[in-house]
Amino acid sequence: MEFRLPDVGEGIATAEILTWHVAEGDRVSEHQDLVEIQTDKAVAVIPCPADGVVVRLCGEEGEIIDVGAVLAVIEADGAKASGDGAAAPESASVPRSEEAAPAATRPTLPLAAPTTRRLARELGVALEDVAGSGPHGRILREDVERAAEQAAPAPPATPAPAAPAPSAPAPGEVVPLRGVRRTIAHALTRAWLEVPRIIDYREVDATALVRARTSLRKRALDHDDEPLAKALTPTPLIVRAAVLAARDNPYVNASIDLEREQITLHRHYHVGIATAGPDGLTVPVVHDADRRSLADIALEIAALASAARERRLTREQLAGPTFTVNNFGSLGTWMGTPIIRPPEVVNLGVGAIRDRVVAVDGAPVVRPTLVLSVAGDHRVLDGDTLSAFVDQVARLLEDPVLLFEDLR
Amino acid sequence: MVVGELADAADLLVVGGGPGGYAAAIRAAQLGRQVTLVERAGAAGLGGVCLHVGCIPSKALIELAGAAHRTRELEHAGLNADGVGVSLERFQAWRAGICADLARGVRELLDRRGVNVVHGEARFNRPDRVAVRTPDDRVVFLEFEHAIVATGSRPAPLPTLSTDGERVLDSTGALALTAVPESVAVVGAGYIGLELGTALAKLGARVTVVEALDRVLASVDAALAAPVLRSLAALGVDVRLRTTAQRLDDGALVVAGPEGEDRVDAQLVVVAAGRLPNTDDLGLAAAGVEVGPEGLIEVADDMRAAERIAAIGDVVAGPALAHKATAEAAVAAEALSGEPAAFDARAVPVVIFTDPEIGTVGLTEAQARAEGLDAKAATFPLAASGRAATLGARDGFTRLVTDAATDRVVGVHVVGPHASELIAGGALAIELMAAPGDVAATIHPHPTLSEGLHEAAALLLGHPLHVGRV
Repeated sequence: MEFRLPDVGEGIATAEILTWHVAEGDRVSEHQDLVEIQTDKAVAVIPCPADGVVVRLCGEEGEIIDVGAVLAVIEADGAKASGDGAAAPESASVPRSEEAAPAATRPTLPLAAPTTRRLARELGVALEDVAGSGPHGRILREDVERAAEQAAPAPPATPAPAAPAPSAPAPGEVVPLRGVRRTIAHALTRAWLEVPRIIDYREVDATALVRARTSLRKRALDHDDEPLAKALTPTPLIVRAAVLAARDNPYVNASIDLEREQITLHRHYHVGIATAGPDGLTVPVVHDADRRSLADIALEIAALASAARERRLTREQLAGPTFTVNNFGSLGTWMGTPIIRPPEVVNLGVGAIRDRVVAVDGAPVVRPTLVLSVAGDHRVLDGDTLSAFVDQVARLLEDPVLLFEDLR
Repeated sequence: MVVGELADAADLLVVGGGPGGYAAAIRAAQLGRQVTLVERAGAAGLGGVCLHVGCIPSKALIELAGAAHRTRELEHAGLNADGVGVSLERFQAWRAGICADLARGVRELLDRRGVNVVHGEARFNRPDRVAVRTPDDRVVFLEFEHAIVATGSRPAPLPTLSTDGERVLDSTGALALTAVPESVAVVGAGYIGLELGTALAKLGARVTVVEALDRVLASVDAALAAPVLRSLAALGVDVRLRTTAQRLDDGALVVAGPEGEDRVDAQLVVVAAGRLPNTDDLGLAAAGVEVGPEGLIEVADDMRAAERIAAIGDVVAGPALAHKATAEAAVAAEALSGEPAAFDARAVPVVIFTDPEIGTVGLTEAQARAEGLDAKAATFPLAASGRAATLGARDGFTRLVTDAATDRVVGVHVVGPHASELIAGGALAIELMAAPGDVAATIHPHPTLSEGLHEAAALLLGHPLHVGRV
């Protein structure tokens, strides 16, 4: 049976093969891990669809394949058992001929359209050796180009060795863009080019925030709730503050679609949490953050962070942020310059809480402070609307008792 | 131009100005080559057999005969056909005009590309040189960098009956008739014989077709020939299989069939017994080009027969069809000009202008099976087509052959009106490896015969619109 890359939803059309967990010729069982793939949004492990033997793996690690393309050919056990009429009514005659003449030796010409065949000749690629990524193994232009790239050893392509330039620096290590890094590279290039960004930098007195956090932690420990105590970093408090402030500033919790020329003001508050993972930045989402308790938010953020570290974030956990909070302060960063990820319009950056000398009532005083750097999409937000939001966040953080306001 | 052993230089030489030769010349010129084209009939002969004594004049005759016949056929539909008649003399003037205009057009195309057209017959005398005998009997030598042999083919003679230009004609002679004969015996039931026989029958001649094999149109699937056979019978054409022409006897052709000798009324005999490649008098051996037993030149997939010489069209293997020659011409011109060209068409369509027409491309179901494919076929009958009904055409079909393993179209076969026009869609589907689902999802206009392809695809997928499950 041909096993195709399933439609993983979310409008995702391609996925990158990260790691094969089986090899050709392996005996596999249903639900065993077959392959790890990376889509634009997540890493997923796809299980084997049936018990059987892997005949062919269609694609190299690092290759990008389309949804619906053949991922692997697996000779399912059911297909061989001639008595199993329900599973494969024609099985009695089929396997024999397949064994005698597997698809590869069929005397048919390569499945390639005329311009693809021409390209193969131009690039010196033998179509017989190319694995087609199209339906039923149709060879696409991209397959030929890829085959040519893989076949061509780098040196003959450049005439450089013939005329060694003494001044030419030795090329450094070349690391191909793969996986999360590639997704980040493409997504952020688009974001950077697309979004006219303004940043509001605001220094916040974190004295009360530090105190509140310490009290909350202590209370959790008093309840022997160590996980919660650990989860109560400044981030959940900041998320809560941001959500409360966004409720009063609807253009913050919004998205823009320039093509349709419309701004959508979201009714739900799904907060993306920028999270460092082993392969790079990921942004899992705390959904409906406005309807959750602080403890709930804290535990969720902790769970998302550990899932990110262990590369097991699900698509659901990555889906649908309405704005992003980026606590780069945890890295020691004093102040950052967040990049907005369209169609979101705000990325709220939080710097490290540090003791600083500040003026209080005309006298220098040492206080814990943090710097908010809130990036806004200027197409949606102006300086005043963005600063109104930041104002409110700052006030909530400076007087965190307001975070527990539910007077409505 | 220099006379004698001194040779003129020809960068790329094309021998023959038919649909292969002139196409090769134009493509080579487009690639920056200095092209010399030698045509034995000179500029007036550009276009070759196809334009002057083949495709074009035969389609002109078939058009006229078809119109006359159809007019009578449509009487029941309300047409008053009184006084419909045909003058082959006027036809010949019209045909000559068409051919001359088209040849002039080819000449202009070549002129515009700077192709030097030389009137004469070329013969190789070295691997890089031809001697060209001009009409005034001079010989000029052309030394070429590359050459393309595109000399075409000629009608094959019958051992028992030689053409005399009066009572025994080849297809060329038949197309030049200025009067409709009372009775005609056509020898050969290939596509040329049946096209001519059908046209002559529609023009009013009593036609007998004599065929040595046990079937007509041996080059195509028998299922495609069946509607044609029924139509020939309706036209009163007497088809005699396993029968050979022996000799002329007064107003009759003596034939030998399964039941012994017989006399067939034949004011005229038209011999259409295949074609022979024009490779025997070209000096190809001197050029280092080998000619096989059938007179065909062996070529690689870039059409090269030797390092500097390519061959295309009727002189190489495959059906002797103009469009195949034209396709090979581009490959040869490109390959000799250093491009990575190769003739790798998956299928060469074949069109036959019988009544009904036949258009066929790719594999039949049996051929597909023989190639080891998981062949599945679906046939949409013409009788279910609304457009066919308005044309008064009920006998024919569109058949789609697919390989289920790779979910693609591998053959399309159309029998019916305008099958020759419809088949290009099938060729496109094959070259682009369309899945039957692609064909079914492509909107075909209504009311047209092209819906047949769509319906056949839908039938194959199990959701036909205009037929029940078959």
